[in-house]
Amino acid sequence: MIRYKKDTDNIVTLTLDMTNRKTNIINHEISQAFIPVLQHLKEEKAKGQLRGLILTSDKKTFLAGGDLDYLYKSYSAEEIFNYSQNMQLFFRDLERPGVPVVAAINGTALGSGFELPFACHYRIAIDKNDTLLGFPEVTLGIMPGSGGIIRLLWLLGIEKAYHVLTTGKKYSPKEALAEGLIHEVAKDKDEMLQKAKNWLMNHPEGRQQWDIKGAKIPGGSPKNRDTAKKIASLTASHIKKYRYNYPAPQAILNTLVEGAKLDFDTACRIESRNFTKLVLSKESKNMTKVFWYELNSIRHDKSRPKGFGKFRPRKIGIIGSGQMGSGIATACAQNGIDVILKDVSQSVAERGKNHAEKNLEFLVKNNKLTKEEKYKAISKISATEDSAEFESCDLVIEAVFENQQIKEKVTKEAAKHMDEYSFFASTTAMLSIDSLSSSFSKAGNYIGLRFFIPIGEHPLVEVVKGPKTSDETIARAFDFIKKIKKTPIIVKDNPGFYTARVQNVYLLEGIVMLQEGFPPAIIENACMMAGMPIGPLSKADNMSLKVVLDAERRAAEIYGKKYIIHPAVGVLQIMEKEERTGRFKGAGFYNYTNGKISGFWEGLTENFPTTQKDFNIEQLKERIIFAQVLEAVWCYQERIVSSVEEANIGSVYGWGFPSFKGGVLQFVNDYGIDNFIKKAKELELEHGPRFIVPKLLRQMAEKGEVF
Amino acid sequence: MIDAYIFDAVRTPRGKGKQTGSLYEAKPIQLLQTVMDAIQKRNNLDTKNVNDLFIGCVTPLWDQGANIAKAALLYSGWDQSIPGMQLNRFCASGLESVNMAAMKIRAGWGNLVLAGGVESMSRVPMGSDGGPLLYDPAVVSKTGYIPQGVSADLIASIEGFSREDLDQYALQSQQRALHAQQNGYFNNSIIPVYDENGLLILDKDECLRPETNMGGLNALQASFEEIGKMGYDAVGHSKYPFLDHVNHIHTAGNSSDLADGASLVLLGSKEKGEKLGLKPRARILSAVTICVEPTIMLTGPTPASLKALEYAKMEKKDIDLWESNEAFSAPVLKYQKDMGIDNDKLNVNGGAIALGHPLGATGAILLGTLLDELERRDLSTGLVSLCIGGGMGIATIIERV
Repeated sequence: MIRYKKDTDNIVTLTLDMTNRKTNIINHEISQAFIPVLQHLKEEKAKGQLRGLILTSDKKTFLAGGDLDYLYKSYSAEEIFNYSQNMQLFFRDLERPGVPVVAAINGTALGSGFELPFACHYRIAIDKNDTLLGFPEVTLGIMPGSGGIIRLLWLLGIEKAYHVLTTGKKYSPKEALAEGLIHEVAKDKDEMLQKAKNWLMNHPEGRQQWDIKGAKIPGGSPKNRDTAKKIASLTASHIKKYRYNYPAPQAILNTLVEGAKLDFDTACRIESRNFTKLVLSKESKNMTKVFWYELNSIRHDKSRPKGFGKFRPRKIGIIGSGQMGSGIATACAQNGIDVILKDVSQSVAERGKNHAEKNLEFLVKNNKLTKEEKYKAISKISATEDSAEFESCDLVIEAVFENQQIKEKVTKEAAKHMDEYSFFASTTAMLSIDSLSSSFSKAGNYIGLRFFIPIGEHPLVEVVKGPKTSDETIARAFDFIKKIKKTPIIVKDNPGFYTARVQNVYLLEGIVMLQEGFPPAIIENACMMAGMPIGPLSKADNMSLKVVLDAERRAAEIYGKKYIIHPAVGVLQIMEKEERTGRFKGAGFYNYTNGKISGFWEGLTENFPTTQKDFNIEQLKERIIFAQVLEAVWCYQERIVSSVEEANIGSVYGWGFPSFKGGVLQFVNDYGIDNFIKKAKELELEHGPRFIVPKLLRQMAEKGEVF
Repeated sequence: MIDAYIFDAVRTPRGKGKQTGSLYEAKPIQLLQTVMDAIQKRNNLDTKNVNDLFIGCVTPLWDQGANIAKAALLYSGWDQSIPGMQLNRFCASGLESVNMAAMKIRAGWGNLVLAGGVESMSRVPMGSDGGPLLYDPAVVSKTGYIPQGVSADLIASIEGFSREDLDQYALQSQQRALHAQQNGYFNNSIIPVYDENGLLILDKDECLRPETNMGGLNALQASFEEIGKMGYDAVGHSKYPFLDHVNHIHTAGNSSDLADGASLVLLGSKEKGEKLGLKPRARILSAVTICVEPTIMLTGPTPASLKALEYAKMEKKDIDLWESNEAFSAPVLKYQKDMGIDNDKLNVNGGAIALGHPLGATGAILLGTLLDELERRDLSTGLVSLCIGGGMGIATIIERV
């Protein structure tokens, strides 16, 4: 597990290599294994036979993280507190005996795996593309608990540490160097070990900043008035960002501020207490479930049709070089796929390529990409006006205007040049994949890929299978989406597919509250307080009210008698008549001046007079969430989305369903399925059949099942 | 029931509460010494008759730390038998100390008590004492604390007050204060501050801006917009979700000025006063402190005043003059609206917008100003109120005798 090697200069290299594991992690096992090793090192030091220590790993990564399985399943405060305290003790033992220690970070080190290097006196990482360093715990609703927060506090001060810890950002070695998280980078393992040794030869004493008497935390103590004022500002922006819904960033802030007032060891104990509380919180269980277990199961192909070899796209064609087309081209080029970017003329296509180049430059500016990588990527895109170039493409994606005829025309044109094995994808968000697929030579090779704008920032893609789409095509589309580092969820061809369908219900439920006489501000604020990223009225304005209304019209056509008209449709019709259909018109629920919101439309109060003076904000918050959850359960029952993982991930990535609830189906588990059904029935009584509980849910409740 | 009588009320002039202010060079203990000497001399007081000294101070550290009340007693050479206590009820501290003195007297457990306040905002800036309510993120996130200026803007937004409404009120405060100053209405109470050689440091309120006009007020920038947008507005929205946005319209012009100053009121029983030959000027009819929702924070004066009226078995119409602290324009305008007070009965000689707000001292200053004006107009009853941090509100009713 730990290999020990001593050289002639009395420098010991400890190499971590946990047995029966692909990666090293921080857990009880490793901290136990270290006890005799550290004891031995102490003895060596006492005999004057130890100059320093290098800590490295033989795996591809340095240390992948903490023992998440253990924490996720833990429900005992005492146990978690002791776990955290034990880890802290281990780290203290490493940094305190006076032996200088260098962390030679040979690969990715995340979470607890990145806490360990901070208990070393010097940190060197190999400058590799795939090395990620950081503290992503916050994204799972938890935080570092092995003293990492307090060490970061001592190195960076409250404000910078807060930023590193609450963004959960994973840094490249160069970025980590710029942030002050590591001391040095090396080009390869040999250079790293040499640099480590050099540092040890010049630094016979190993002592951390926090163990030096009289040392001060950068940025000052909270007892200092200016620092206190900065903390107050930080708290204000923190509240605005998290709206009281996320305990992890709050606990991080609390730990940093409290820790800055206390000595190192007491501060670490506070960290353990806050860590314990977070690990036990519902929010962390929800977030760990969706962002760790469920996301990983999608990444490990659980939903991908089985029995088909891995598809390795080499070259793809894109028709239409607007925001969508050039965005997809950027993502492909960045991930080593050649792109033929076609548009109506060479010059239009070139413009699209320029747009892709701008996307890449933006990434360079943000340290996400090196200049060389950018040049390499842009050379992968070739602009054209000629469909014949699609000949050698494995996949052609059309990203043209949302119009059936135009889409069919470009599909037929491309089909002429594509071979039998290649497949074709449409980026449509509105049209039926089934009806479009007939324009392609082989309907089984036709599929939908619904991207989200801006593509560079959105992690999700809906892979839309038509009734004729073959499993092999689905598998290949799935592989392609993974190749461009997006998360695919497989959904059925259906108006709005999955995410837009449920999102529409969110918007409608918000909009109908206007008709019920709630002031517009209440509606927007209630939704934001419930954890939605944007209020339904502003979101509907952004999308255009026509789009919201059209989705309902299509659903009415398709579902026929089964369609339950949403009472919000009446509001939308009034808005349409008033020619206030959204932001692009400069007029919707809001007024706009120069494209910016300048207050609610005055006509709202005339058309929808405020009658609800005695409102219960908690009821509104709950109702807006229930509407979405019920619609998602319908989707799951109708197999529009066929796994819980995809439903949950699709909800948080797709339309911003609150992640502290763990996604849209996890909400039911969190609420308790029986309570959920009871509450839904109350809502049905009050607001009508749109709150009917789907059969699937009732059956699950009878059998005592959960999602 | 033993009644609590006011025999005298004095104050220092109010200096600008910053380094350029005249009283910056004077120590807070010196300001207290000034008013204590005056009380002693004006009333020919043998100090051993005094039972207690309450001094309100909102930021009690450094030059005004470690129980400034007892320190001032010793420094001023008062009889060693007198205990002293510093207390903090935020902006109401000066009035709270008066109220507590009155309670002591009414209880019969004291018959001559001094009460007042001090604040050198130039020397000990607001917030210097930290505190979880303002600076501990765990507490702030749980309690919905926001800075008072944002609370004032929140009140203005909910009540629909416009920038012009606030500026108009501020202009009136300046004009009334200037008129009162020019006509010597404050002279009865103001005790000039001298140095140790008897050289004058300051003898009149110096925060006033006689040149104030609507144009000038209108040109000022909103003071709390930036911090509001940074996050405090979101706290406001979570408490008042029907608001679509917080209208940030308070400025340096329509909010109170930072100030330095001290105040002192001599209270006692009728019997003790007669024994010492002190002439009672007024009687305290009721004294109340309450608390409202802490985010909106500054709406306490109305419920406090209503309760004070109830305790005194009085109605609004029984009050001849009203004094309500001008921490910001909006809380006063809301108070005026809620209580239905005629404009010519409220803050008739201006207020903190023009004259400054030396936090710990203000409450007792307002009481003195009110009493002086009742005497000048030969009216009988007055009610003084202040809005307070944390959502508290205070009110005291007096009646001339």
